[in-house]
Amino acid sequence: MDAKLLEILVCPLCKSPLIYHKAEQELICKADRLAFKIQDDIPVMLADEARTLTAEEAEKL
Amino acid sequence: MNEFEIDKRQVRRSFSRAAQQYDAAAVLQREVCSRMLERLDYIKRQPARILDAGSGTGWGARQLEQRYPAAQVVALDIALGMLQAGRDQSGWWRKLFAGGRQSSLCADVEALPLAANSVELIWSNLTVQWCNDLPATFVEMHRVLKTEGLLMFSTFGPDTLKELRAAFHDADGYNHINRFADMHDIGDMLVAAGFAEPVMDMEYITLTYDDVKAAMQDLRRIGAHNATAGRAQGMMGKGTWNKVVENYERMRRDGKLPATFEIIYGHAWKPQPKKIADGRAIIQTPFKL
Repeated sequence: MDAKLLEILVCPLCKSPLIYHKAEQELICKADRLAFKIQDDIPVMLADEARTLTAEEAEKL
Repeated sequence: MNEFEIDKRQVRRSFSRAAQQYDAAAVLQREVCSRMLERLDYIKRQPARILDAGSGTGWGARQLEQRYPAAQVVALDIALGMLQAGRDQSGWWRKLFAGGRQSSLCADVEALPLAANSVELIWSNLTVQWCNDLPATFVEMHRVLKTEGLLMFSTFGPDTLKELRAAFHDADGYNHINRFADMHDIGDMLVAAGFAEPVMDMEYITLTYDDVKAAMQDLRRIGAHNATAGRAQGMMGKGTWNKVVENYERMRRDGKLPATFEIIYGHAWKPQPKKIADGRAIIQTPFKL
């Protein structure tokens, strides 16, 4: 994942900063409880493609 | 969803499907891109970061990279397939030597996942015609731009594909063509979004085809056939199709069928703010108060 791009990426909905989970290749928005996947090094920042975090996962953040 | 609202899932699907043959068919996009690049000659600023909003397979982004070798180019497209196809084309040697200055990002231009004040130039070639809420899209672009940053874009105007629209008009009651905003309205939207000194202009580009089928195929190949919610959902009946062909054939000139595209070009700056966050106005004077 491109470090320069990561610097300026925010959540497309609430525009708050994201948490990068390297192992899962996901970008997490804590406020919206969404996980955006990174596919072939390309972040897919579409709300309707994002995975909703489970209550447990949200708890851990 | 009103009948003219653009179904974004449909846009995504049709462009991802079109990605492999897109570059062969996208002559129009390239032509418009080159004309936009000429307009950049007048602008002397060197941007450090450029957003290509609606990059397709990245042809335009590569031109921008060449023009601004020091800049980081973010190629953004809603169709992941387009970005992947663009990556395949760039080759391993480029990835090695270009030092990864181009970043790919799959996102919707109407909901940009970029921080405020993060880019100096937003470039958008024939993309914003896919936006459902154009005024809100300009507000988004304004947010992402740095002060004194430049937005430069092209889009389709209302006369685009007027021949095809007319041919379909009496054949059936469905929309077959997306609706497009007028240049003057777009200028007003830019000002309302906070942009300064918008410059708008337009031109017609007419492509010619041998038959209606070829025209339709080309549109489908560039992914630009109808994606509005009011499109017909099933196959078109043979009778209707024959009627369309008959209507279109009447417009044949010099043995060819014309397809007109009204291309709108625009650029505008993000000015110094006139107000601070709490609403108090900033007034600049040439003398010290």
